[in-house]
Amino acid sequence: MTPPVIKAMSDIAVRLTVSPAPHWRSKRTVEKMMQYHLLALVPALLMAFNMFGLPALSTVGTAGAAAVITEVLLLKLQERDVNVDNYTALYEGILFAFLLPAGAPWWMVGCGGALTIVLGRTVFGGFGSNPICAPLVAWAFCRLSWPAAMDIDLNLAHFAINAPLDQLKYFGLDTLEQFDNMDLFLGKQLGGLGASQILGIMAGGIFLVATKWVRIFIPAAFLVGVTVTASIFWMIDPEVYANPIFHLLTGSVMFGAFFLAPDVASSPVGIIPQVLFGLIAGTMVIIIRVYGIYPDGVPFAIMVANLLTPLLDRVRPKPFGGK
Amino acid sequence: MLRIHYSLESEALESISEITAPAELNISMRNKILKIKKGKKLAAGELLAERPSKYGAACSAALSGKATKVNYHHLTIKVDGGEESVEPIDVKSMGPGKELLRTLQELGLNIAALSSHADNLVINGLNPEPGISVAEQLLKDEKETIEAGLKLAESLVNPVHTYLAVAAGSSYGLVGTERVFVKPKYPNSLDALVVKKVTGKEFPDDTKVISVMDLYNLGRVYETGMPITDTIMTIGEKNYRVLFGTPVAHICNELGIDVKSGDKVVLDGPFRGEAVYSLDEGVKKGDYGLFVIPEGTFPSIEDATCINCGECVLSCPARIQPNMLSRYAEYEMFEMAEKYHLHSCFECGLCSFNCTVRRPILQYIRFAKDQLRTSGQAEKA
Ligand code: SF4
Ligand code: SF4
Repeated sequence: MTPPVIKAMSDIAVRLTVSPAPHWRSKRTVEKMMQYHLLALVPALLMAFNMFGLPALSTVGTAGAAAVITEVLLLKLQERDVNVDNYTALYEGILFAFLLPAGAPWWMVGCGGALTIVLGRTVFGGFGSNPICAPLVAWAFCRLSWPAAMDIDLNLAHFAINAPLDQLKYFGLDTLEQFDNMDLFLGKQLGGLGASQILGIMAGGIFLVATKWVRIFIPAAFLVGVTVTASIFWMIDPEVYANPIFHLLTGSVMFGAFFLAPDVASSPVGIIPQVLFGLIAGTMVIIIRVYGIYPDGVPFAIMVANLLTPLLDRVRPKPFGGK
Repeated sequence: MLRIHYSLESEALESISEITAPAELNISMRNKILKIKKGKKLAAGELLAERPSKYGAACSAALSGKATKVNYHHLTIKVDGGEESVEPIDVKSMGPGKELLRTLQELGLNIAALSSHADNLVINGLNPEPGISVAEQLLKDEKETIEAGLKLAESLVNPVHTYLAVAAGSSYGLVGTERVFVKPKYPNSLDALVVKKVTGKEFPDDTKVISVMDLYNLGRVYETGMPITDTIMTIGEKNYRVLFGTPVAHICNELGIDVKSGDKVVLDGPFRGEAVYSLDEGVKKGDYGLFVIPEGTFPSIEDATCINCGECVLSCPARIQPNMLSRYAEYEMFEMAEKYHLHSCFECGLCSFNCTVRRPILQYIRFAKDQLRTSGQAEKA
């Protein structure tokens, strides 16, 4: 049946906008969400510049630009609206850069930025459809393909200090005496250029939670998972395992908690699934750090939890009036 | 500046004002069966249309005049200012039963809540949506009529308990009801949540719920024997009595409301109401508010894909997954939507309100429900 054409009654001088209810809306939009997220990265970026100098900025710039250009090209190829002005590509490119050592080779940074978009999102249908946090896909790809270019200590050999997690992994607990918790907290450590800036990351993360762009459930559960699991190991044998504070202040734990794990598309949607997701990812971090071959467990832990997301989303409360 | 809020409280209310009678009435014929022909001379109160549903209310002319334009979506009445009117029906002398119910239906009342017995009768005395104060206005000014309506309703339902749900902190009450306080915050005013608050149960079978607006109309029919042909609407801060069919343009003229091209004009509330496409559109039964939303106040609805952010799920008071429902509806997989508890949704609109990519989720849900309803009817026929 062809739908009947509804003619305007008489007054067409005033043409009204029509749309379905509700007519009031919260002012949430993707653009705004991303603007806040980008703003939340600023403190860590400034601290990274202070710590690593210009290479930090050029790495972030290269990855961000590569991501945006790739997104434009791919959207054109697919004949979709080129909506890079919603900042999602830029944001995810920068997230990828935050995981890299400052001064990583530019060709790899560019490749990674592009891969964040291609492998991270486009192959799955674009922004919002990716089953795994996009920057982590690119990170894993680079890490497996070019281990030397990704290596923290190697890239930052001109610094007199060491990467804390690599020390723990390869040289054991005793070597950790060289690290002062306050230094770690202030980002005076080697690691992902943004991810290692604990204070800045926490400031940004708390800002996002306070402005409600990130719900508290995943970050909180993630940090609880890390703390509890690390404490269990530590209580079993403090001579062999590092203390939970050390774990919280090193690697990408804070970055993962506030920026990677709550990635909208790859994390679950309900409260209970979100809490479970955070706990699983947090627990996995420590298990990988203790038993795995990679010093920092965060990227792989989050990717594993991402794979569980569809399953976790099946944990649903009883619907209203449901049996 | 438009203030978005969830509060259902109303400030100190003045009394109800009248909107003068317009020269023309435009009456929506959607979902109605027309009972008159074009060119017919009509007396005030004359029956115009009935509803195809079992309990739906009939619709009567508010003023005397002539039906000048009739098509399947609207009926236009040119008002002649005459005194002609239908004779009142003596509702008072009728005992409860089928005849009374049919009479009420003809006089413009929906009888779904009245047509069978229930143990609990809940009167919803909360303002239905933010920005609307009709319920409290009536509780304040029209208590006697509401109580008359309540007596009639009780005679039909025979409840064991009668409850009145009102905003916490208010002092409204009705004779013969037990008062239950509800936090005056949207969506708590919706029937499903009010019943839950009062009885502790979700969608219970033994409970009927009726709004004070409906009780008020019931009371008026009881007292006057005349059909219901007007509604009380909140416009700005005040409440007005508006005849059914009064064009929006007439109200705007009377009250000096300025509407420009691109603005949105909403009949009934900001969460559940309907945006009209023409200022000629007439007010109808169940419209308790008129809102003009200037262009550009809110980011517009978009046909975007869901990004799985979960805001809709976290804001849904029915604890279901609007993201999945809207997707299934989008791809016309209505049975899957049903499996995902489509029918637990009581259409509060908070999912669409909060959606980050601005998907029209509530519209998809209503669409799915409607499609299931029609296909269900088709199978039966
Ligand atoms: S309208 Fe949306 S938020 Fe409200 S009950 Fe239905 S699905 Fe839930
Ligand atoms: S709020 Fe919108 S974008 Fe977010 S999960 Fe729900 S439907 Fe998807």
